[in-house]
Amino acid sequence: MRRSLSLNALLGASLAFFTALIGLPFWWVVSGSIKLPQEIISRLPTMFPQSFTPQHYQKLFQASDYPVYLINSLIVATSTTLVTLVLAIPAAYAFFRLTFPARGVLYRSILLAYAFPSIVVLIPLFGLFAKVGLVDRLPSLIIVNVAFALPFSIWMLRSFLAGVPKEIEEAAVIDGASTLKILRRIMIPLIAPGIAAVGIYAFVTAWTEYVFASVLILSDAKRTLPVGFSGIIGQYQIDWGLLLAGATVAIVPVVALFALIGRGFVSGLTEGAVK
Amino acid sequence: MRTILKIALGAATMLTPAAALAQETVRLTLWHMEQPPHRVERIQELIDAFNAANPDIVVSQEPQNWGEVYAKAPAALAAGQGPDLLFAIPDFTPILKDIGALTSVADFVEELDGKHDFIDTAVEAYSYDGGVWAVPLYNMAMNLWYRKSVLEEAGVEVPQTWEEWRAAAEALSRDGVSGMGLPANKQLYTDQTVYSVMVNGGATEIYNEDGTLRFDNPETVAAYEFYTNLHQFSPADSASWTWGEAEACFSAQSCAMVMQFSVISTYDTQAEGDAEDLGVAAIPSKDGEDHNTISYANAVMLLSSDEARMEASKKFVSFLLEPENYGRFLNMEPGLFMPVTADGAQAESFWSDPMVEKYREQIETVIENSQNGRLFGFTSGLTFPSIAAISAQNIIAETLQSIVVNGQPAAEAVAAGQARMEEVAR
Repeated sequence: MRRSLSLNALLGASLAFFTALIGLPFWWVVSGSIKLPQEIISRLPTMFPQSFTPQHYQKLFQASDYPVYLINSLIVATSTTLVTLVLAIPAAYAFFRLTFPARGVLYRSILLAYAFPSIVVLIPLFGLFAKVGLVDRLPSLIIVNVAFALPFSIWMLRSFLAGVPKEIEEAAVIDGASTLKILRRIMIPLIAPGIAAVGIYAFVTAWTEYVFASVLILSDAKRTLPVGFSGIIGQYQIDWGLLLAGATVAIVPVVALFALIGRGFVSGLTEGAVK
Repeated sequence: MRTILKIALGAATMLTPAAALAQETVRLTLWHMEQPPHRVERIQELIDAFNAANPDIVVSQEPQNWGEVYAKAPAALAAGQGPDLLFAIPDFTPILKDIGALTSVADFVEELDGKHDFIDTAVEAYSYDGGVWAVPLYNMAMNLWYRKSVLEEAGVEVPQTWEEWRAAAEALSRDGVSGMGLPANKQLYTDQTVYSVMVNGGATEIYNEDGTLRFDNPETVAAYEFYTNLHQFSPADSASWTWGEAEACFSAQSCAMVMQFSVISTYDTQAEGDAEDLGVAAIPSKDGEDHNTISYANAVMLLSSDEARMEASKKFVSFLLEPENYGRFLNMEPGLFMPVTADGAQAESFWSDPMVEKYREQIETVIENSQNGRLFGFTSGLTFPSIAAISAQNIIAETLQSIVVNGQPAAEAVAAGQARMEEVAR
């Protein structure tokens, strides 16, 4: 079927509009990070840099604790992602494939985790973590991030699990596969796109988490990127170049993650699974 | 065997003084909110110098963020993980005082006052309920910043009265330039600029002596009306401004005048940096008589309950206020942090900084303006704990938004503002 020229033009224009809408802020941040300070705050903004300087990046990496914050964030986000996946996959499988008492109630009640704004549980959680010696330690952030990412991750995996034909599992059972084996050898490969989506969700949630990281971490050496970065850009006097350079670097891991596992999204869910 | 025993005994003998010394070492943690890297670096230099001069004390710093410290400090103190020294502004101190984390440092402040001579208003902001709850460290006062060449070109004099101020803003609003950059955000910066206008229109006090609120009065309404009138010469996005946007507007020459603590650092590094052309003046007053301003005497709270740690904390604060160190401390952000002591204002260590030398004229004016500094809720010698909640909720700024953004008449908005203050004070 051939599309008309006008429809093609409309689609092209829409695509260009949305690309610009999403891409321009990124371009603004990235291009601004290499401009001289005078050009960044110029009365007449420049779309393409008229000057070039690496000074903001030099300051970011040489004169600030940004690299420390970056490493801490990578540790917290990566650990959160792995722990969330390790817990969410069997939990989701148990909720959707196994039968046990109060399954429906439990399934719905896990979303109660989102019923309370994080600020409400912040201070009690601080007291709790203080008692067990977890304040000012990165594992405290991993625990909190997993606790908040896990319920939604389980729900997300539901739709992916629901898409796997039951016949595949039944065939495996007939062949004598155990539940664990079915999960590991059949289900996980089939729901790989869902796992990728959950992984990205957990990573981004942990990468951008601010409230708990700002209170549970006391020392500068253990601060994560959102909290540490908000401090180094200043309050009364903002170093705009430093802000733009830091923001540029901060998006790199997320973009890299999408590039690495994003292709999972476009692959067929159960393509070729059943003949 | 005997040889081994001798070695062990010898080693133990050698280690004993070290162990004893380690036991006697007092370790202090300093929390401050000066997070930009160059400020952290300067504070570390001073800490290193102090630690080297006092081998029995080890101070370490943990920079924090103003955004979270109001919740974080009480929680950390309750969990026994709080700092020994914590920087503060006046409305932060009542929070920690109310949870019993503070003891009065009146005697210590008196001793330091005898030695260095504090600016009276700096100490007053922390003096209430029969005690002094923090040691003033540095001052920040709001000023009117402009470029001399821009005013000259427009044939405008530096405004002294509200009428002149409005006329100047109108005359300077041309060719895409905003005559006066004023924020209208529900944020602390707007609290500060609005209050700077209020104190120049006879609306300094927001409390009566009995603790009831007197925010809703004709002087406050007049100040809001004037501010709103002036705000029409601000850029369209100023309803979402914080300090940084105002400074950028001024540095980019998009705003002819701004109210700001200091623009020196940004003007020097991101704009033309011509010290001769940078003008600073006191905030114009309604009648041109007394010029007042909002000022924040930042201070340090001493939180240790342990006597040895408290003494060590005092030693560190004394060290910071010594003229040979104090200037270096203030110049962690040249042009922004002003001295709160008489000998600090004369200190060679303060005036010898290259940036301070370059902008000496402006800094002298800022110091002069800061002498008339006021802070809402801390003006009468009586401080009421509810000021912390009123400040945290940005009700002064919220009232302005009701007028500027929602178009509510000033009298109604101020009355509603007082009602809100009473609500959060309960």
